[in-house]
Amino acid sequence: MSSHVRTPKTVLKKILVGLVLFSLGALAAYLLPFLIPSSGISNPWVHHPLLPILVMTLIFVAAYKNTERLIKKFLEKYFFHKKTFAQMTLMDLTGDLAVNLDLQEISNLVVNTFGEVLQLKTVALLVPDTLQSHFEVASAFGWSISASKKIRLASDTQLLKKIHQTGPHVLMRGPVLQSLSWQEANALAHDLDSLQAAWVIPLFVKGELVGLLAFGALVPDTVFDQGDFHFFREFAAAIAPCVHNALVVKRLRQLNFELQDSQSQWVQKTKLNAIEKLAAGIAHEIHNPLAIISGKAQVLLMQKGSKQLEPNVQDALNTIVKQTRRAADITRKLLMYSQGSRGPQEWIALEKVLDETLSLLAYQASMDKIEIVRNLDPELPLFFANRQEIREIFLNLLLNAVEAVGSEGKIVVELKYLRAEELIEIVCSDTGKGIPAEHLDKVFNPFYTTRHEAVGLGLFVTKQIVHRYGGSIRVESQVGVGSMFILQMPYAAEGARSLGMGTERSGVQVLGAGQK
Amino acid sequence: MNKLLIVDDEIEICEFLKSFFEDRDFKVAVANDGARALQQMALCQPEVVLLDIQMPGMDGLQALKKIKELYPKVKVIMVTAVETQEKIEEAMRLGADNYITKPLSLEYLEKDVQDKIDILAKGS
Repeated sequence: MSSHVRTPKTVLKKILVGLVLFSLGALAAYLLPFLIPSSGISNPWVHHPLLPILVMTLIFVAAYKNTERLIKKFLEKYFFHKKTFAQMTLMDLTGDLAVNLDLQEISNLVVNTFGEVLQLKTVALLVPDTLQSHFEVASAFGWSISASKKIRLASDTQLLKKIHQTGPHVLMRGPVLQSLSWQEANALAHDLDSLQAAWVIPLFVKGELVGLLAFGALVPDTVFDQGDFHFFREFAAAIAPCVHNALVVKRLRQLNFELQDSQSQWVQKTKLNAIEKLAAGIAHEIHNPLAIISGKAQVLLMQKGSKQLEPNVQDALNTIVKQTRRAADITRKLLMYSQGSRGPQEWIALEKVLDETLSLLAYQASMDKIEIVRNLDPELPLFFANRQEIREIFLNLLLNAVEAVGSEGKIVVELKYLRAEELIEIVCSDTGKGIPAEHLDKVFNPFYTTRHEAVGLGLFVTKQIVHRYGGSIRVESQVGVGSMFILQMPYAAEGARSLGMGTERSGVQVLGAGQK
Repeated sequence: MNKLLIVDDEIEICEFLKSFFEDRDFKVAVANDGARALQQMALCQPEVVLLDIQMPGMDGLQALKKIKELYPKVKVIMVTAVETQEKIEEAMRLGADNYITKPLSLEYLEKDVQDKIDILAKGS
């Protein structure tokens, strides 16, 4: 292969050939007088001074080819040992790989062994990503990790097109570039440059391209000969099934993970659904007895024509009516709480919804000596959302804050519009007992609660709602100092909720305004 | 004398409503399900019906449909514990004249029933 390239090997070969031929010529010239019979014939040519040079030239011409071949064989023999060692190491490696199913380990082994044994500058093993739309670097030798992570070869890049044409042959930069039109060659050169590769060994399994082994040499004019390429093909055929298997295992793991994920989501959904049904059932069953209690009391209170009731009896009846209404409100709220109401979206003023929610809590807060402060952005825009859901967010945050403070403390609710990021930010901070660091990641889990009487759905439902609006929620807390919940929802993302909500599911809606 | 029909599967509810309206000089009939409600409609010819939605057998919505078919002039007020939006919308579509939720405010109920009777009186 490329005999015109002058490598140390070829120079050494040339010198050796020259030396051997020169000694052969000199020997022949020296022996010439003895070889010619000198029996009486006096031949002046025999002693001519140019004769040895002539003989040497003749021998040079006659023996050049054979000598060169011999020398080459000799040299090959010397280098052969090194190659066998490299080849054996690599073939041993394929044995190790056959029992490994971890893609990362396999690719690490391949690139490192390949790179070290062949003394290469760069080696990268590329495998298809999970969507099979791109090839990405699974492992790299001689690369910086960050650089290798950036490589993504789309399936329509020139390199992959070319490989699908050439099949399992080793792709060599020089010859292949010469065989292409300049545009294609440019594109291919770009791909190869990005891989820092002069050679690419494709890994095929039954016609499917499962990987690419791209490598570049330390010395720019390193050459491999036909035997090397033959070996590379064998090597590729040996490691390709290993890579393929590992890829399959990886995909299966991924699918399994996704399956588990969707399963747990489903479980969560049915769980919530069950709670909804339970809440609806409870509300229904409780409202009838409440109606009877309250009704009978009202009948007595509003009786006509009979004697006036004793004041204490009247008091008691009034209390009964009032308290039954309160109980009904609680079940109604429970129902709303569990449903996360589904209704139309509209442009709403967040501060108004906040005020409505605050009015619900004002009484309890004042009883517990909790000061609630609102901090409003004067340029707060209207927000496109479902009023009930936003109310629920505020209610859950505030109920938690009130609970955390217990008595005597301060709650600050901030509504901000982050103009640069186009985000609506709701910050609710309290001077409560705080959340221990080890519980911080659990507060948004369903059924997580520190209260005995609570269901533990408030923050979970809040998170669900915030996620529906494409937003995020996080918490910062310090035990004994207080907690701060920070919600951010994209302001312009009106379409963010088109999935999952709206018309698709028209659940139970509670009418609280039946009696006006 | 104004005539009123109370339909609810909870007997206690029927009873206190009955005593309340009788106290206000109504002639009150009671039924515990949709089928009996239709019988009572024929017997008593009430002007106003208080109709529970959730009942065993023929439920409030089916009864409402029948009542409005047979007696289009009769005013029907739906009484609900906790109902879905659709059910209430369905009831209004079927011709219910109002709906109220339990627990009831008798003051409001009395006013509403009186309104309906006034409307009927004006119409006739």
